Amino acid sequence: MAEKDKDPTWKSDFPIDQEEATHVSRREFAKFLGLFSGALALGNGAIVLKSLAFPDKELEGEHFICEENEVPVGGMKQFEIHGTKDIPYILIHLEEGEWRAFEQKCTHLACAVRYRHDLGQIECPCHQGFFDPRTGVVIQGPPPRPLPQLEVAVKEGKVYVKSMSKDKPYNV
Amino acid sequence: MSYFRSSQNEAHPNKTNTVMTGIILMLILLVSIQIWFLYSALNNALDDNFGIALATFGGSLALALVSFWLLRYLPDPRPAKSKPRK
Ligand code: FES
Repeated sequence: MAEKDKDPTWKSDFPIDQEEATHVSRREFAKFLGLFSGALALGNGAIVLKSLAFPDKELEGEHFICEENEVPVGGMKQFEIHGTKDIPYILIHLEEGEWRAFEQKCTHLACAVRYRHDLGQIECPCHQGFFDPRTGVVIQGPPPRPLPQLEVAVKEGKVYVKSMSKDKPYNV
Repeated sequence: MSYFRSSQNEAHPNKTNTVMTGIILMLILLVSIQIWFLYSALNNALDDNFGIALATFGGSLALALVSFWLLRYLPDPRPAKSKPRK
């Protein structure tokens, strides 16, 4: 009985009731969740603002890339168009007279893709993503979206690219 | 005047406990939905999908307001005991 009445010394060293401690921390946790929720909403708003303020610019005009005979059938050439931001592109010579141009950044985690003529597919070596070399559509693997495509025009032995016209998003 | 706070304060501690747990669970649910929204907005922003960005922002804002409003129903902290025990 006497032992029960006597407080152990740690109680005076740490004079906070357990009940009190847990009660307060749950309130704080809930408030923190509220704060976090607000932060997430702000982040989402930032995305909206960003896409309003800095819309992605379409590529303007036609750009000369190379001579037609520089890229053999089944070959691939990497090029860049110097503008506001330098995006690496690839030019693919599928067959005689069949050209395609895509962004080289994989839509999964932005690795550089390459054209594999032996497979007839565009390969992303990072996580084995494969794209259709005609349309840029994902055939296999983790990439969530097709590769963005440019339109290719060959005039008098010279290869030009321009942005894809809106009404035909994929060149089939 | 009687409002939810006074009856909440008089309620049995077990009820307070349940209210607390309920609020926290609701908040976690709301925050998870918001994370999902943010993820989709980011994913689609890369694809110039402005509609998704706007819609998820609206949803996220509404959920944030709901979670702020939920905080109103947090049970009061226990009144501080007369300190300290010797
Ligand atoms: S980065 Fe291309 S598949 Fe992952």
